Amino acid sequence: MMYDSDDALDRALFTLPLEEPPSDLRASILASTAYRPAPAFSVWEVAALGAIAAVTVWFAFLIAMGGGGLFLRTLATIGSSVAASLTNVTLLAWLAAGAMTAFWLVFFTGSQSLAPAGRRLERDAGR
Amino acid sequence: MALAQAPNAGRMTAGPEDGQLVAMTLRGNPEAFATLVERYDRAVYHLAYRTLHDVEDARDATQEAFFKAFRSLRTFRPGAKFSTWIFAIAYHACCDRLNRRKRYSNEELPDRADAAPGPEQQAIALDEAQRLRTAIDGLPEKYRTVITLYHLQGQQYEDIAKVLDLPMGTVKTHLFRAKELLRRLLSGAEVTES
Repeated sequence: MMYDSDDALDRALFTLPLEEPPSDLRASILASTAYRPAPAFSVWEVAALGAIAAVTVWFAFLIAMGGGGLFLRTLATIGSSVAASLTNVTLLAWLAAGAMTAFWLVFFTGSQSLAPAGRRLERDAGR
Repeated sequence: MALAQAPNAGRMTAGPEDGQLVAMTLRGNPEAFATLVERYDRAVYHLAYRTLHDVEDARDATQEAFFKAFRSLRTFRPGAKFSTWIFAIAYHACCDRLNRRKRYSNEELPDRADAAPGPEQQAIALDEAQRLRTAIDGLPEKYRTVITLYHLQGQQYEDIAKVLDLPMGTVKTHLFRAKELLRRLLSGAEVTES
């Protein structure tokens, strides 16, 4: 068959069947996206649990090394440090400034999860 | 004379439109994304396979494209075409793979794949569709991709330009040359342009 005209070639191209994907492709795409099982813990839960575990190990180490006295003294030092921080106006002002900056950055840019190149490509495609 | 419709150009789909499905997915409905996958997995795989010429690579690129799309669904602009967006992500994934191949291979990638089909392929090529596929495979990569997207999206040059991140004029030129080369390949003429 000859394709002398543009129309004939277009017709041939548009009627060309698509490649047949592997039979399990759709299932594996869905298993890694929409039907992916939700993680047991969210990121912040894992971080909180990790922090609690670290503090517990640290306290256990203090008790094992110096008995109750060292543990209580450390606890008192931490308590007084926290109290001093909370009454320090300059520190609170810096914390507030940091939190506001983070809030406005998230508010104006949204959360973006892709690598820069991919993001640029998607942004261009969505334009 | 009316032209045949491209497989995905202005396709009539039963059920909600792509944009609505994206919104439904973002509201936590996994079935909506499954519908999008059902609509486009074959076309995305086709693009990946035609670009990469390898079943496993095409499969991985297709999976990666949908995974990235799912992860960044919030960045999809309402009103944009989902097909263009997913094709762009898939094309990007294919380019990454092609670049990796170039990096890990001592040889330059050939501009033409299967330039000289063997006897077995020649026998199969009796089938018209197969003959056309073989001819498309014989095109240099940049023309092959443009022809593949033209096949998928029809005469929507703006969408093809967005996917490839090229000016529309370049896309039209590539397409013109691709068709010319394709015609020459189909008529059995020697093709020398790279």
